[in-house]
Amino acid sequence: MNSTTTQGRRQTPRLTPRATAVAAAGVVAAVLVATVGLPAGASLFGTSLAELTVPAAVLLALGGLWAAGWMSTTRPRWRVVDIVVASVLGVAGGFLFVAWNVGWEPISRTLAFFPPASGLLVGVWLLPGVLGGLIVRRPGAAVYTELVAATVSALVGNQWGFATVWYGLLQGLGPEVVFALLLYRRWGLPTALMAGVAAGLVAGVLDSFVYYPEFGAGYKLAYVGATMLSGLVFAGLGSWLLTRALAATGALAPLASGRDAQRV
Amino acid sequence: MSAVDLHAGAPGVDRTAPLARANPVAKLLAATVLSLGLLLTVDVVTAGTALLLELACLPFAGLSLSALLRRGWIVLLAAIPAGVATAFLGVDSGAVLLAAGPLSVTEGSLESGAAITLRVLAVGLPGVVLLATTDPTELADSLAQVARLPHRFVLAALAGTRLMGVLAEEWQQLSLARRARGLGADGPLGRVRTATGQVFALLVLALRRAATLATAMEARGFGVSTERTWARPSRFRVRDGLVVLGGVALTAAATAAGVLAGTWQLTLAR
Amino acid sequence: MPRITARGWGWRHPGRLAWAVRGLDLEIEHGERVLLLAPSGAGKSTLLSGIAGLLDPEDGDQEGELLLDGVPAHRARVRAAGEGTGHAVTGLLLQDPQAQTVLARCGDDVAFGLENHAVPRAEIWPRVDAALADVGLDVARDRPTARLSGGQRQRLALAGVLALRPGVLLLDEPTAMLDPAGAAALRRVVADRLEATGATCVLVEHRVAQWLDVVDRVVVLEPGGGVAVDGPARQVLADHRAPLTAMGVWVPGGTPTPPSRHRPAGQQVLTTEDLAVGRRGLTAPVLSGVDLRLDAGRAAALLGPNGSGKSTLALALGGLAKPDAGRVVAGTTLADGLRPEPHRWRPPELVRRIGSVFQDPRHQFVASTVADELAVGPRRTGASATETAVRLEELMERLRLTHLARANPFTLSGGEQRRLSVATALATRPHLLVLDEPTFGQDARTWAELVALLRGLLDDGTALVAATHDEDFVAALADEVWQVGAGRVVPEPAAVVVGR
Repeated sequence: MNSTTTQGRRQTPRLTPRATAVAAAGVVAAVLVATVGLPAGASLFGTSLAELTVPAAVLLALGGLWAAGWMSTTRPRWRVVDIVVASVLGVAGGFLFVAWNVGWEPISRTLAFFPPASGLLVGVWLLPGVLGGLIVRRPGAAVYTELVAATVSALVGNQWGFATVWYGLLQGLGPEVVFALLLYRRWGLPTALMAGVAAGLVAGVLDSFVYYPEFGAGYKLAYVGATMLSGLVFAGLGSWLLTRALAATGALAPLASGRDAQRV
Repeated sequence: MSAVDLHAGAPGVDRTAPLARANPVAKLLAATVLSLGLLLTVDVVTAGTALLLELACLPFAGLSLSALLRRGWIVLLAAIPAGVATAFLGVDSGAVLLAAGPLSVTEGSLESGAAITLRVLAVGLPGVVLLATTDPTELADSLAQVARLPHRFVLAALAGTRLMGVLAEEWQQLSLARRARGLGADGPLGRVRTATGQVFALLVLALRRAATLATAMEARGFGVSTERTWARPSRFRVRDGLVVLGGVALTAAATAAGVLAGTWQLTLAR
Repeated sequence: MPRITARGWGWRHPGRLAWAVRGLDLEIEHGERVLLLAPSGAGKSTLLSGIAGLLDPEDGDQEGELLLDGVPAHRARVRAAGEGTGHAVTGLLLQDPQAQTVLARCGDDVAFGLENHAVPRAEIWPRVDAALADVGLDVARDRPTARLSGGQRQRLALAGVLALRPGVLLLDEPTAMLDPAGAAALRRVVADRLEATGATCVLVEHRVAQWLDVVDRVVVLEPGGGVAVDGPARQVLADHRAPLTAMGVWVPGGTPTPPSRHRPAGQQVLTTEDLAVGRRGLTAPVLSGVDLRLDAGRAAALLGPNGSGKSTLALALGGLAKPDAGRVVAGTTLADGLRPEPHRWRPPELVRRIGSVFQDPRHQFVASTVADELAVGPRRTGASATETAVRLEELMERLRLTHLARANPFTLSGGEQRRLSVATALATRPHLLVLDEPTFGQDARTWAELVALLRGLLDDGTALVAATHDEDFVAALADEVWQVGAGRVVPEPAAVVVGR
């Protein structure tokens, strides 16, 4: 009688030489930019490039680290239940967007007279991405969920039409980068909060470029700050609390998030 | 909300019209080109021309003006605040028309405000048309067959959409159940709490059903092999290429109009 | 038709400590029809999933082997999908009709499996049409699936499964969520197709009597373990009647339910005056001219076909829906100082007077632990903390929920959820209880407990209205039957109806 037990595959990420090289390249490029500085002649977003030296350096370093994280994590394949759950979360997110549009729009319209304040409500748009990542825990989950949510909201009809989908893609990349930097292994509260902040940052920058390109630099900065705070609270804390509540009902049992929650 | 019924045929839409019959990916591409082209600049001439040309194409899409308004009222409603905000808080130039502390409306900012409003409308319109004339299953088929997106994700998203669509019926049951439990007439705060609880319960039910749906789909062979045939073929024909070219032409015409009027300016480099 | 072999097979789901199944030895030959019985939680669904090849050894812990014609089940499934002949090794039909519809149109839904198995397009649509005809679904290919009834939906799912010509048909409580008419139709179709194709069948069900003609063998599983009993159907059912009934199986020819006693009528609890009720979105009322009367300590059953308006009427009687015309009038004891129309009562007032139990218990859960769930009602009516605590204890004892006090309601089993939903309705000691399909999908044990509980309530003077398809329930409890149909409601004494 055959009595061998096959254990479920346990995965540990390893840092390959290629990944290390990419990370190193990013950090080196960042240091170079920081010390040499960017040309003052050209300009972007109404501010000269020279003033953007530090953010550019940080971006390069993070980009290198993220790429290294993505390359070295052993990426578990998406199972059908992962895809369907992420899709359902995305569609639920889309309905949330529609309800948010229709129900709260009057409120945000009054705040629209002070764009920096309207940034405080942006977090709602960022929730599905972070939630998808926390629940499904697969590479690309945050992007996929946010993308589906944006598509559904566009399908039902909103004020941005098709541009929403591209927004969704980019807004999902924010938390995705955070999850990737943590090698898709850390899913606790700090991770959720950081993912929320990252989403808020992306949303704020996007909005400044697309919707309020005529505003002064001061307003833009205030707006991005507001969106980051909103992302922290709604998308970060909100998603984390929601994930915990859902796990308690046993609804997440077939998923990675339910599995790690308890050995019951 | 009839807008949420994704699967019923849209009333007021003539599905045999040339644009409506085009491949969804073609419509998507045209809409993308339009949005990206229009997002490059903020000026009244470009946005206005694009909007006028789009409205001229409406009969080809089989959409009546009333159907458009019915489906796109949200776009209309949102274009105004964006424009107004820009008028008050945008970068000022030219003569000052109104001033109150930090808020000021100048000729320059007013023009920007108008441009923004027109742009939101011009960007939003193709989206509304696309979605009024496309059936979700057809969209999924074309995304997987023509755009070659991974079929597992596209079909699972379609199935997830259907599942959530029918969950709307359970919402009513949940509301009644809450009344029966003694909840619900608490004043606004209490009502928000009850509503949140209801949304949560719906989400739990949805996730449970999603897991069962995944099992059912897998049991019918889903997600196993990359080889798959398609019962409903979706092909990109010459007509669809023309639709894309039409979108490009529209964008080019609007941009040309802006350049000729001297108002077109790349927003990126300022 | 593959041969199913399990040798020392065990499976543990990822993230669990206990094994769902362990040490299972089973052989099922081609063409055999097996009924699988086991107490709840004993791994029946796990075994069916295993045979269907859905359990990935890399995802959980497996012991021993589960083979289909010598090939591990998981690999057999993958191989069949890749072959391109459009033949699946197994076909699985699940319990929930809503969760098996994949696409929005009937034809597309049936074609889904064929597409996944790389069947050439020219072959797909003829096979779709044949499958729809085989299950007796006379619908066009582009009929929206949203408009199907539960029974039709299950047959659609079966069509999708049968289109792949599986050698083994696996059925996981397929009629549990169907009304008697839908269940009968499904049974007939399954019997037909098994005759026609000679496929092997493994069935999990607890309403055994109606399936006796279809199955020839019964296998009983032990919780978390292997096979307890295995033998020819009628023999096993006869020899092991007591333990099977204890498990909740509806053993045919089991102890008959005692007929309802005729209780003396108490005070008037509820009447309706020329009542008309309708559904949202419909202009014409679905029922009109309804004149009914219910007294304390009496039970009325609403009987009628699907869509006749039973649930709508139950909602109106429970104060949850506004009548289209006419009135629902609560008697003086019930109204207790309020105006007589229940739909005008505020929720805290309503919950103290009328308890409503919904068809799906999960629709009623509002708290995160069983204890909190039971406390919601009393708290809403202003009961003090000590009073609430006392009532909670009493209810949990009575309904055997004490050990679950801290559990999340959604994690309970079906029977436990049903008991909890009834308990929450009772927590505020209402004078009237309105139930919508209370015995739907329940096993024999929960059914018996529910009937006993409701009997006790009736003896205490509570009035009862139940919308139901369950004739045994009517026979056991009802004093009156309100026949719903063709837009009217006709009250009749239960003895007359049951006698028919």
